[in-house]
Amino acid sequence: MNTSKPDDPLPRTLADWRVTPPRDPHFRTAVWSRIEADRRAPSWAGYVRMHASLVAGALAIAVAAGGLIGRDQARARVDAERATMVSSYVQSLDARTMRMP
Amino acid sequence: MKNLLITLAVALAACGAAFGVFYAMNDQPALRQAAHEGDAMAWLREEFHLNDTQFAAVKKLHADYNVVCAEHCTAIAAAKKRGASATEIAALEKTCVDAMTTHFRRVAALLPPGQGERYLAMVLPRVNDYDHNGAPTVQVKS
Repeated sequence: MNTSKPDDPLPRTLADWRVTPPRDPHFRTAVWSRIEADRRAPSWAGYVRMHASLVAGALAIAVAAGGLIGRDQARARVDAERATMVSSYVQSLDARTMRMP
Repeated sequence: MKNLLITLAVALAACGAAFGVFYAMNDQPALRQAAHEGDAMAWLREEFHLNDTQFAAVKKLHADYNVVCAEHCTAIAAAKKRGASATEIAALEKTCVDAMTTHFRRVAALLPPGQGERYLAMVLPRVNDYDHNGAPTVQVKS
């Protein structure tokens, strides 16, 4: 389906359109230097060596946080079960709370 | 960027590992198991680190006290049934509380050093802090 009119200037404009970007003499060098930079990116071991204190700090914080949360959760769980147990234990020996069959 | 993400992943893994280790170190599965099953004797054994001799003595003490406790229970129930005065019921309940307290002190005396005080600190505050709703759920097996 041809929708253009015979006097439509658009096709002629498009046909005449030429892109003439300015020449960049460093384009090729820049591309290769970026490829080279990626190729030379440090391994994780190298990254750790380069940022030793930062990585060590992050790991220390992670271990401390995990340890504290783990300890508190375990203790809270044991304490809750203990409290329930003690109440039930005392109640089981308390004649006031017993019911005759 | 990739290295930063790896570092974060390693930190997260370290956090999870530390959580697991510290949770396991502070958990008391045997104690929780006894509590979960409502087995008071098993709980006492685990909680207060009883050896076989101490456990046998504590168990016998509880068995003996169960008889006393049942007598008190019968007396209180009978008094309530016949509509005894509040004073009489209070006196019976006081007898029960005194017997219970004496029993707890006897149990505490059988526990390892240091554990008796801990036991009393747990149970005595609950002697006067009871409600009449809810039947006992633990098993004090003889």
